[in-house]
Amino acid sequence: MSIPARSLARKTVVLTDGTIVGTLYNITVDFKTGSIVNLLVKPQNEIPDFRMEEGLYVIPFECVKSLRDYIVVDRRKLRR
Amino acid sequence: MSMIGEITTFFGLRVFTDEGRYVGKVEDVILDPEGKMIKGLAVVDYNRALINSRAKGVIIPYRIVKAVGDIVLVRDVFRPRKIQYEVEEETTEEVEI
Repeated sequence: MSIPARSLARKTVVLTDGTIVGTLYNITVDFKTGSIVNLLVKPQNEIPDFRMEEGLYVIPFECVKSLRDYIVVDRRKLRR
Repeated sequence: MSMIGEITTFFGLRVFTDEGRYVGKVEDVILDPEGKMIKGLAVVDYNRALINSRAKGVIIPYRIVKAVGDIVLVRDVFRPRKIQYEVEEETTEEVEI
């Protein structure tokens, strides 16, 4: 599957239990390898599991289950 | 210097080959969520002397990207026009439309 990055802008990010995390603000990538590193999400609800940096949640891309109408994140996949 | 950056950095960057040839301007970044990778860069205003297409934009595969900074530098996989007709199939493999 191919997804244009611009189509993801300001999409709603939800947890697998249905909780809204917030809206997608940006995605960080490794320019050298092209691998996707993190999602940067503008918070709408407080979710203590996620690391906050400069007012944005930093969510590892491994946690992303789906990128369709909503971005679904599984917090059980969060490495601690 | 960190190689990690935000994906919006790409938008509007100009793409050149390591032979100094202009390729185009980045309009979008195509992601492969299963592979957790960037698949390619969607490029517009592209150099028709390098890429033989009538499409509005073309996808440059990310595997030919060498560096990202003030510009995007890619490997020069483009053949001169004259030869391009003879190896057209091979070229379309490198540059998907």
